[in-house]
Amino acid sequence: MSLQAEIQKVAKRYPDSKSAILPALRLAQEEHGWLSPEAIEEVGEALDLTPAYCMSVASFYDMFNLEPAGRHTIEVCTNVCCGLVNAQAVLEAFERELDVVPGETTADGEITLRAVECLGGCATPTIVAVDHRYRQSVKPEDVPSIVREIRNGN
Amino acid sequence: MTDLVHVTIDEREVHVPKGTGLVETALAAGVEIPVFCYEPRLGDPVGACRMCLVEIEGNPKLQAACTLTATDGMVVRTARTSGKAADGQNATLEFILVNHPLDCPVCDKGGECPLQDLTFRYGPGNTRMSFEKLTFEKPIPISPTISLDRERCILCYRCTRFSESVSEDGQLVARNRGAMSVITTFEDEPYSGPFTGNVTELCPVGALLPTQYRFEGRPWEIQNVPTVCGMCSVGCNVNATVREGKVKRILSRNHPEVDEGWICDKGRFAFTHLRAEDRIVDPIKRIRLRGFEHVSWDDAVDEAERLLRAARGRVVVALSGSETVEQAYALAKLVRVGLDSHEAMLPEEVSPALDAYRAPLSSIRDADVVVVLGDVPLEQSAPIVDLWVRAARRAGARVDTELDEKAVRNAQRPVLIWSGPGGRGGATIAAHAERLGVKSAFYVPTTPNGRGVADAWAACCDDEPADLESVGLLIVSGDEAANDPNVRALAEKAESVIAISMFHSLVAGWADLVLPGTSYLERDGTYVNLEGRLQRLRRSAIPPAPDELAWISQLASRFDVEVAPHAPVVFAELSERIYGGLSFGEVGERAPLRTYAGAPAHVEAPPLPEPAVKGEGLRLVSYKPLFSGPAVERVEELQFQRPPAEVELARDDAKARGIANGQTVTVSHNGTSVQLRARIAKDMHAGVVRIAREHAGDLRGTVEVSA
Amino acid sequence: MAIDAQPALVLGGAVEEPLRDLASYRAVGGYAQLERARSMTPQQVIEELIASNLRGRGGAFFPTGRKASFIPSPDKVAKPIYITVNADESEPGTFKDREIMLRVPHRLVEGCLIAAHAIQSRFVFIYIRGEYSAEYEILQAAVDQVRAAGLLGEVQMVVHRGAGAYICGEETALLESLEGKRGQPRSKPPFPAIEGLYASPTLINNVETITTIPVVLQVGPEEFAKIGVPPDSTGTRVFCLSGNVVRPGAYERPHGITVRELIYDVGGGITGGRDLKAVMVGGSSFPVMTPDELDTKLDATSLGQKGLFIGSGVITAIDDRACIVQFALRVAQFYMHESCGKCTPCRVGTRWLVQLLRAVENGTATEHDLELLLDVCDRIIGKCLCVLGDSAAMPVASCVTKFSEEFHAHLEHGGCPFGADSSLDRLFAPVDQHAHVTVPA
Repeated sequence: MSLQAEIQKVAKRYPDSKSAILPALRLAQEEHGWLSPEAIEEVGEALDLTPAYCMSVASFYDMFNLEPAGRHTIEVCTNVCCGLVNAQAVLEAFERELDVVPGETTADGEITLRAVECLGGCATPTIVAVDHRYRQSVKPEDVPSIVREIRNGN
Repeated sequence: MTDLVHVTIDEREVHVPKGTGLVETALAAGVEIPVFCYEPRLGDPVGACRMCLVEIEGNPKLQAACTLTATDGMVVRTARTSGKAADGQNATLEFILVNHPLDCPVCDKGGECPLQDLTFRYGPGNTRMSFEKLTFEKPIPISPTISLDRERCILCYRCTRFSESVSEDGQLVARNRGAMSVITTFEDEPYSGPFTGNVTELCPVGALLPTQYRFEGRPWEIQNVPTVCGMCSVGCNVNATVREGKVKRILSRNHPEVDEGWICDKGRFAFTHLRAEDRIVDPIKRIRLRGFEHVSWDDAVDEAERLLRAARGRVVVALSGSETVEQAYALAKLVRVGLDSHEAMLPEEVSPALDAYRAPLSSIRDADVVVVLGDVPLEQSAPIVDLWVRAARRAGARVDTELDEKAVRNAQRPVLIWSGPGGRGGATIAAHAERLGVKSAFYVPTTPNGRGVADAWAACCDDEPADLESVGLLIVSGDEAANDPNVRALAEKAESVIAISMFHSLVAGWADLVLPGTSYLERDGTYVNLEGRLQRLRRSAIPPAPDELAWISQLASRFDVEVAPHAPVVFAELSERIYGGLSFGEVGERAPLRTYAGAPAHVEAPPLPEPAVKGEGLRLVSYKPLFSGPAVERVEELQFQRPPAEVELARDDAKARGIANGQTVTVSHNGTSVQLRARIAKDMHAGVVRIAREHAGDLRGTVEVSA
Repeated sequence: MAIDAQPALVLGGAVEEPLRDLASYRAVGGYAQLERARSMTPQQVIEELIASNLRGRGGAFFPTGRKASFIPSPDKVAKPIYITVNADESEPGTFKDREIMLRVPHRLVEGCLIAAHAIQSRFVFIYIRGEYSAEYEILQAAVDQVRAAGLLGEVQMVVHRGAGAYICGEETALLESLEGKRGQPRSKPPFPAIEGLYASPTLINNVETITTIPVVLQVGPEEFAKIGVPPDSTGTRVFCLSGNVVRPGAYERPHGITVRELIYDVGGGITGGRDLKAVMVGGSSFPVMTPDELDTKLDATSLGQKGLFIGSGVITAIDDRACIVQFALRVAQFYMHESCGKCTPCRVGTRWLVQLLRAVENGTATEHDLELLLDVCDRIIGKCLCVLGDSAAMPVASCVTKFSEEFHAHLEHGGCPFGADSSLDRLFAPVDQHAHVTVPA
């Protein structure tokens, strides 16, 4: 199914198709890898919204990439609950392993590393979301194997 | 009858209709509640800036007054009498100024800036912010006509709300979240459309400013002259900002029945045509076939007299519809009374049948059904009318572009509007109104004062034009007439031509004598807008040459006709005939919609024409775009607004021809063809295509579109 | 992590193993209460909720039955009536809704359907935070099972995914987001009960609140009202215990358990036997608790007497290694990052707080800055459009006042006296990572 058709199908779930903008942007990002101007325009066309409007909405939410991002994302919670049990060391381990600072993508364009706010896994710190799937109780020493796993496409 | 409620504000008692906003209620009690984001014309209040915090008895938390309405028994304390409210207001102002650069000395808004004013009245005298302020690249041109300074922006969201809920263009938006929020357009696209400039007036700080006015004047060096826009038939009330005799800026001047304080970008930004490079400032006389020479005014008037005398009884005047009523009357008197020549080429048809259905434009907003006929989008022909229709739609009205008679008959407050060819000067829409029992109807003329000019011409005398075998002299009055192919065709046949024009390139080479023309911003006089409202033009800038009335008066005296060189005097004479003796002064700064003694109450509309038999092909509507014409062509910063070379067609017509949106297509008729980009337009009717006149080439009538 | 429930009501039947499929949920009596509710009049259901004195578990603690009673009946309005479930759980330290959705998604669905019956709504939207991928799938599967089993009746149920914005947990911001806009809170009035989603009457409840509704019906409103600390804090909470404790986890306990009991008896005390320095109670949006307040009962009245809040049931223990200035800074950074940008005091004030706290932490602040810090908090509190500004200012102000000595020590020491020993040392905050926040030129 084309992106347009998929968006229009989702839009039917709502009393007003505008409500489908978050799912639509999500679909577009999945297809394009990031919300490029073209991807934004496609969403706008499907929902009869201006590209500026779609961009405005997308930029409000953390999960949308308005800049190119890696094929995979690693998100490390650095809010206080994880922070109290050394999330910083986990984040730094990723920085070393990937040779990037938070917010950057590896030179090969594969992995984007991000620090994120509380992911709701406070009883199993540190929470690391790999492509939006949670890894619980991550320790700095787990980092190399996580990166290896991603790189091996596993 | 509205219920009145009793409200106490700062110990003052006031009665206001229930539901009145608290800011207005306070004002009625003589109390100012300062605001930044609050602007009732932008729809529901948002309560974002927090400048209007007040204490409401019974509520422990400070409330944003702008979001509340008056209820009976409400006791309100503003910062004047409540320490808590004062603390709230001080807090807000301190926060607003935390990131503001305070660069007032070099800010164009300085001196006319709500932030500056409110800081002066309520603000802290010092700053406690000792850290780095937010900085952004600045200024950013968000279009060739508007620049944005994000550091000055206080994020009141007035501009984005305008873009979303008034002009509904959805182009100006906020990006990011929290402290990093900025105002922007999509990618590098300029903010475009008929209404963008309004955001420069809505902005309560110096963030959105017109580039044309950048560093052009300080508030104490300028005067604002209240006048009326002459760029289309709406006649928006405007202020022309003048410095040292030159117009520097056009601002809206809210007439609640006409424009509600909005103006279009043509009215706002096209004024620099006054200073066009090819502006004619001296009379020009043609020598030999294509040469010309500048001549003195004395010589010019002599030459005009000579040409007029030679053509007595055979003078034809081609009018533009942009003349003032007074100018048209003066010309008529000169030619009709002085030279017994009664033939005029009027710029367009004008039907008195519409007079029985007159209503203020603001009544459109209250309509429950609005029918817009005629195939030319209102935003192209009369942009502000488009805003009224949008307001009606937002308020729940049904807006149709096809006449559903049943819906109109069942409506409580139906409004009919005609925009486009085939309207017979309003007769068609009047006939529909008559037939369907509709009380208000509008016709959009193509000229700003077509009605006034026609009435003035007719009012001068009762003699009928004689059949002319040949045209002795054609007087081409104004640039629109000079630009009209029919006028040019007649000029070919005329023995001689006098043209009154502002721009050299329009008339050089074919007129025997060219007299410098003036703009609506340089004239005193009156215009009649599409509602039939007589409005007052005030001279804002001194024209570079004597105005039309001056030399018409001089010329008329040579034919023993008395024409005063002053608009009020000419108006007085004319008013006795058609405006019930109204004096020039009584026209008013915000003119009411009047009826005049002696005017017929109802003129029957001529019968509707037979509907055209639907033939082969697509009916072409070639329209005059908003951003076109001699003035716009001379304003470089408006060029980005000119219509793209495209043909608009209905989805079904495109589908039947296998045409996709954006594809290059051939539009053809009778052997001529034009290549254009196809745009599938939702609002188009099947069987009709639309092309801006400047892109339509020689196409007319019925066309075919092929991929 | 640990999961435990005494008594097991909200998590009933799901403590040992999650109850994800319809059959196993039915085996523990699932959907029986829906059936019972549907045999009652809507008014009767609302009366039971009122009698139970169930209050909102999202943070505002508003009486659930009363809230439902504000919704006009369908014959009085020409518009549809909506239910919106707030599953945008993002308050730092909170993970109970996630646990509920992972373990008993059907009890949530059942609660939705009972609530729909109570206010005669046919449209339920569950707004789940975008980061909860697995939780979304489990919940969606539960909804699909219920639909296939014909239990939805005339009710349409849509699970709507957010996209990463804490503010969308604020009810009106959630509605804006669900309508396809930037999630910026609306000014109230009008209240959602009258003009909510698509300007129609809308009931908004938190996941745990809705999930408690079948429990109320099951144990009976009178019995439910005896659990906890009547009359105001009835029933149980799924407390979220985290931080420097031996056994962090989700613990369902009645209102009225003390913080000390939760941390030391239930949670096994502070890791490594260290000293407790502070407790984040209710979430990061509220004043912090000091060790001398540990015997405070976790009910609204007891906490209220100490100027504390039960919030979303968060208990995060902070041991003595943490620098409280770093804690306050990290909290302020969170709110700066999450401020929606609509109203001035929050948008500007949260950034200013971060700057001031950083100056204290770096040792560049003065005594005057400490006063200013409190004054900026004061200038935010009660002035904003929604509670996010207060949520930043309250914890910061409480840190400055309750740990005044530590703040002063920073001034005297010319920087952080803990150095690299603080457990929160150098903790990075997303607000400093603007890779995804570009300002177009």
